[in-house]
Amino acid sequence: MMALVEILIEIYFYGVIAYFIVVNMSYTILLLLSYREILYYMRHNSFSDYRITVQSELTPPISILAPAYNEEATVVESVRSLLKLNYGKYEVIVINDGSKDATLDRLIREFSLLPSNQVYEPVLETKPVRDIYKSHKPANRNLVVVDKENGGKADALNAGINVAQFENVCAIDADSLLEDDALQKVMKPFLEDDHVVASGGIVRIANGCEVVNGRVTKVSLSRKFLPIFQVVEYFRAFLSGRMAWQGLNGLLIISGAFGMFRRDVVIEAGGYNHETVGEDMELVARIHRTKLEKKEPYRVVFVPDPVCWTEAPESLRILSRQRNRWHRGLLDTLLIHRKMLFNKNYGIVGMAAVPYFFFIELLGPVFEFLGYISMIAMLALGILNVNMTILFFIVALFYGVMFSVGAVLLEEISFQRYPRARDLAMLLSFGVLENFGYRQITLWWRMKAFYDYFVKGVKTWGPMQRTGFSRGAT
Amino acid sequence: MSFQIFLILALAATATFLVIVISIGLVVHKALHSKTIQRQQKLYTEYSQQVAEIILQDLPTLPEDSTASGRFDQYEILLAPLKDQLEKMTKGRRSLHRKAVKLALIDFARDVAGETSDRLVYFSYSLGLVDDEIKLLQSKNWWDRAQAAHDLGVLRARRAVTPLAKGLEDEHPDVRIQAMQSLVILGGVHSLETILMKSKNLSRWTAIELSIIVMRFKEEAVPFLIDSLQSTDQSIVLFCIEMLAEIGFVSAVEPLRTMARDYPNTVIRAKAIEALGRLGDERAEAMLLELLRNPLPTLRFKAIEAVGRIGIRSALSALETRLKDGVLQEKILAARSIAAAGPDGISLLTSLKNAENEILRGVAQQVLEESRVEPSVA
Repeated sequence: MMALVEILIEIYFYGVIAYFIVVNMSYTILLLLSYREILYYMRHNSFSDYRITVQSELTPPISILAPAYNEEATVVESVRSLLKLNYGKYEVIVINDGSKDATLDRLIREFSLLPSNQVYEPVLETKPVRDIYKSHKPANRNLVVVDKENGGKADALNAGINVAQFENVCAIDADSLLEDDALQKVMKPFLEDDHVVASGGIVRIANGCEVVNGRVTKVSLSRKFLPIFQVVEYFRAFLSGRMAWQGLNGLLIISGAFGMFRRDVVIEAGGYNHETVGEDMELVARIHRTKLEKKEPYRVVFVPDPVCWTEAPESLRILSRQRNRWHRGLLDTLLIHRKMLFNKNYGIVGMAAVPYFFFIELLGPVFEFLGYISMIAMLALGILNVNMTILFFIVALFYGVMFSVGAVLLEEISFQRYPRARDLAMLLSFGVLENFGYRQITLWWRMKAFYDYFVKGVKTWGPMQRTGFSRGAT
Repeated sequence: MSFQIFLILALAATATFLVIVISIGLVVHKALHSKTIQRQQKLYTEYSQQVAEIILQDLPTLPEDSTASGRFDQYEILLAPLKDQLEKMTKGRRSLHRKAVKLALIDFARDVAGETSDRLVYFSYSLGLVDDEIKLLQSKNWWDRAQAAHDLGVLRARRAVTPLAKGLEDEHPDVRIQAMQSLVILGGVHSLETILMKSKNLSRWTAIELSIIVMRFKEEAVPFLIDSLQSTDQSIVLFCIEMLAEIGFVSAVEPLRTMARDYPNTVIRAKAIEALGRLGDERAEAMLLELLRNPLPTLRFKAIEAVGRIGIRSALSALETRLKDGVLQEKILAARSIAAAGPDGISLLTSLKNAENEILRGVAQQVLEESRVEPSVA
């Protein structure tokens, strides 16, 4: 009997080690690939004069889609900021998704909106549109407000796509702030390569930054702990993860907060899926799938420079909801597109990206959770090798720190948006600190996402409280 | 168990090694970066002052019968102290200082003209900077090639025209774009002939870059654009049509009419039709009216738009047919063109506001709303 237990422990041990090696090797490869991609981007970017997109008549126009649900605190400032972007021709389509607060009233009042007779082809099915509003003020003539019945973010985006006039649509969160030249930068890949069908920009955390007239004027870290942890996480996700995957054309996520798409490709893929909370990732996965099944050349790219600033949750309660939703979205997307898993017909997406997201991003928390449980069980049974366990924790900690430091390094060699040495030191410290408590909390939220998804069948977003940039982020 | 401990220790060692390497990389990068910046800034400031002194120094007037070499001798005398200074340095140090001199020269070159500019050009040649940059055009690193292509233009190095023309066929787009811009600095509008002849498969980005250049020359560029309509490269032909329409020069109408009627490629025909509309010349009217009945939607749509841009009243009946029979996109285009035809068009649309067909009614209302600037209250 003891021999059997010993064999089982041995198998378990080697399983854990094997998984650990695979995970960390994947992260290391992604970090190295990101380094290569960022270096290329920085060099390429140094020869780009983005002003030409404003000067030339050849610059293709863009439709910006900003879904809004109960965003009365931030919507006016966000729309004002969108109307002041530095780009040639563009329209801003705000989709009021049946808000229960004064979102629509505030828009009507602030931008002098009146009902319009705009005709459009409803190529994507959505909840009924009640009215379309346009401004009678010439300065706001590129603003369109679509008022529709509540159907969720995906449904709102689909309504925006229906109304959009131009060949490229840029989906953003109504509560996000884009930098002046963000559109120029995120649009450039489409202009350089006709095969580009989608392009995502980096999302940075505005908490702690100074915001004036809808623009981030001074970048610094928040004084609160939670946003700083999230800054390090965002660095890892965007600079180290997405940058690498775009180099392989295996990028599966373009953040819902800021992504540009070719309208015809989104329509060809069927638009946003309103049955999932991870509609942003699901759309990108479906675009990959559609294009790969049709064997058409295409590229999905990530641009690390065009910055979209977003307000990160500052309370554990809101953050837990967000992480829970993200994980449910990931789970849902991977289940919907499970056909691609290890399917060589889907190339790098099927053989690398989907397996990575499935085994490392999705199931990682499960394995880690089981690790904690088995450790407690072995401790209770008196068969835990304490020295070995401590050693393993130290190793895991070192790897965790390494990837955080690596992501901060990528930021340091490229954009250096946090100019103060103090901020850099803080980011590095939080890269270490996050392993003691924060990581375990987020692990719990992601585990709960499985329970919510499979047992409770939760498929909604859950409320997200906004404080408004002018007060919250300054 | 000893193997397990070994395994864990190996992982620990790897992690420790990587953490140390990356952390050191971070610290070293930060330190070196700021040190290099400081050093470069210091050198740049020093050489900027030195270059400023020698380009602003008054030179004795040369006799009227003196040749260019007389002027060059004077320049050489001005440059001698700087050359001596660089000569005395070790190879590594010299390279760093030459770089700073080049940056200073490039910065001045952007802002000066006339004799001062001639001095700077001479200095670049005499210091061997132009030859260095021409050599760099052969570098295996695309970013070095692109930078060299850029710098040669700023330094007004005419010797580099041939290598830069070769750069138009480089595999990397940034090198091609920089070569294009430098050639324009060196050869003015005439460089467009080479650029349009050698460029292939223009991306939209490159086309935008080139459009800025073409619009600087406007009418002067027209002959080169018309010549390049014969190019075998579709992207060049499309670009030339677009630019001819943008410049709006009357001599472009005839070649565009021929292309709109006879060109074998539909995409190019459509672009030519669009351009004719933008040029607004009455010679195109008959052909555009005929194209309103073309079975190919791409050509028909462009013809509808073109008719609207010109505002042809005689097209009202054909446009009304397209408004009633076409798909939604065609209906909207036709309605806009009807509105552009003037009061007759507006009254036609007003009468359609009460049409039985809901889409027709909606389109008429939308276009009337657009033409009034202010939206109507529903």
